[in-house]
Amino acid sequence: MLWSQHASPVRSLNLFLVVCISLVFGVLSSLPDLSDKSCTFKVTLRNFRVILSWELKNHSIVPDHYTLQYTVISRPDHVKIVEHCSNITASFCDLTDLWEVLPETYAVTVDGFRGNTTLVTCFIDFFLATHISLEPPEFDIADLMDHINVNVNFPPVIPKILRGEVLQFYLKLIIEEQSGGIVKKHNPTLNENVIGNFTYVIDKLLPNTNYCVSVYFKPRNLGAIHRSPVKCTLLQPAQETGSSESAKIGGIITMFFIAAVFISTIIILKRVGYICLRNDFPKVLNLYNLSAWVIPEMPPVEAVAFVEVIHVNRKKKVWNYNYDDESDSNDEAAAPVTSTGGYTRHGLMGGLLRPTSASLATCGDCLEPDPEEPDLSERDSEPLMTPGPCPGWSECTSGAYERGGKLLQDPLSEEDSSSTEEAGDKIIFNVNLSSVFVSALDDDSEVPPGLPSFPEETFDPDDSHQLETSFLAAHGEGTQPPSPTPSAECPWPEDVLSDKSDSSESDIDIGDGYIMR
Amino acid sequence: MTSRCILQTALLVYFCTTVLAMNYDLLQFQLSSSSVECQELLLQLNGTSKGCLKDRMNFKIPEEIKKSQQFQKEDIIWITLEMFGKTSDIFRRNLSSTGWNETIVEDLLATLHRQKEHLEGIMEEGNFTWDHRTLLHLKRYYLRIVQYLKAKKYSTCAWTIVQAEILRGFFFLDKLTGYLLN
Repeated sequence: MLWSQHASPVRSLNLFLVVCISLVFGVLSSLPDLSDKSCTFKVTLRNFRVILSWELKNHSIVPDHYTLQYTVISRPDHVKIVEHCSNITASFCDLTDLWEVLPETYAVTVDGFRGNTTLVTCFIDFFLATHISLEPPEFDIADLMDHINVNVNFPPVIPKILRGEVLQFYLKLIIEEQSGGIVKKHNPTLNENVIGNFTYVIDKLLPNTNYCVSVYFKPRNLGAIHRSPVKCTLLQPAQETGSSESAKIGGIITMFFIAAVFISTIIILKRVGYICLRNDFPKVLNLYNLSAWVIPEMPPVEAVAFVEVIHVNRKKKVWNYNYDDESDSNDEAAAPVTSTGGYTRHGLMGGLLRPTSASLATCGDCLEPDPEEPDLSERDSEPLMTPGPCPGWSECTSGAYERGGKLLQDPLSEEDSSSTEEAGDKIIFNVNLSSVFVSALDDDSEVPPGLPSFPEETFDPDDSHQLETSFLAAHGEGTQPPSPTPSAECPWPEDVLSDKSDSSESDIDIGDGYIMR
Repeated sequence: MTSRCILQTALLVYFCTTVLAMNYDLLQFQLSSSSVECQELLLQLNGTSKGCLKDRMNFKIPEEIKKSQQFQKEDIIWITLEMFGKTSDIFRRNLSSTGWNETIVEDLLATLHRQKEHLEGIMEEGNFTWDHRTLLHLKRYYLRIVQYLKAKKYSTCAWTIVQAEILRGFFFLDKLTGYLLN
């Protein structure tokens, strides 16, 4: 709407003028007294009853009874005599049931009689809607913890003069709340059919505070406002609030207690062993990488090599070193029985039938027969098998290798204690091939960092002393290797160390620093 | 692009509605205040109906005005404009017999004229067109009052009776403008 866009910020000045003029008129003007030369009238809405009262100006005239009659101006009706206000001694009359229209000008005539003599006749006409004085309704208050219920007493039957929209339009009920010099007005909306008690709740009040309430009807015009006497109440202290706070504190303490008991129970059960709470799950159970779990990667193809096991009897003199005898190894190959005072070591050697990986090739390199050793060269055409991995294999700790390693180690340790008992030609090894596996792994990444490496250039079969020196240097002059892992389960470092210390002419380099005797 | 246009349209409608509502509230306050002011000015005019009861007449204010029939807000503006305008026309007539305070009468006329101009400006800008039976009833109602005054030759009693009738009219008008509130 165009007018709405224009209407009224522009007219705000007019509004200001209207309000000012209205206020001026309201203050300066007072409604004409309802009086004539003899009487003063007052019409009041008291407890929803229209009461017309009068008072004679001349107090010397004292009628003993009165008669009231009225008519309306808006139409040419007859003057009506109010029966229940005829010959009454009181100077007022209840016209609620007769005056049914609020916006009407009523013309009232009151005659004062003494006996049959008319002492005085008073006439007044007034526009009821503007001259009626709105007295406040009766009410009572009920104070609760933080709110006050204001019960306004409405009549069981609304008089006709207030029916329709007059009650909402004309009788604006105002409930005034006062506390500490602060006045707050509440304007409840009255229903047209309101009867009996009308309850209005003033809420959100402060406990332990004094509140006073008054009720009145605000007139449409700027006439006088008649407030009811205030009714005050002191709201009780917030006992309920305190109890609720203590209940909250108790609840919190109870929750902490329950949580402590629960956590203690979990800890006790964990320590006892009933439950095992682990954060470091095995890699297989690690489901945090959901994508990898949902779409698992294909496991690396494990290279399986078939091996043929050939046992080789070797007998080595340990104590009777003869560094000058270059053909000692050949003698050992030719005659497995060692000389007196020595011991015999039996080795199980194997060769890969079909090496498939670099690591296996490396392992093969480890076991590559020395061309200077005839026995090995005779079996060169046959694949050799190694019972354990080449130096540096982490599978040293595996069960299969441990078993294989034992085949190497046990005779050695026994020979250290009683070499003469093992002085036979052959020792039969029973190897369960179904439990022997050789994994093809990559490179030297599997080599434990603590294990020593044996550079080939440091080994000279002819200079075992040099070998021994270099090896001791690598191990801190013969002390225990820094890594504790292979020393117990993988015997080769100590074997090598012992071999180096007992280095003899029969030592054979099989590659990567591994020394076979 | 379409959603942006819809959003802009919705915002425009929302703001227009809000501005319109705010202006209706303000207009209601203005009209109601003017109506109350006119009632108070009329009550200040001297006069009594004593001796004039024989001159009473039922001018038959339209029932839809008395019962505050649910009008559209534009209809209420039309009715208000008509009532202000006709009342102003009546009180510009011959008041010599009444002995009323001319200042009060001038104030009354000024109030009526101000509100009439205000409403006429609104009607012109809004290009309101309203041809309603109520308007016709109102015209006839005020015509009866004027004819009554003419018939009574603008006598004091006639003016007293008309004064009371105009008071009723302002009361109904005050109630009617209450519907401008949302």
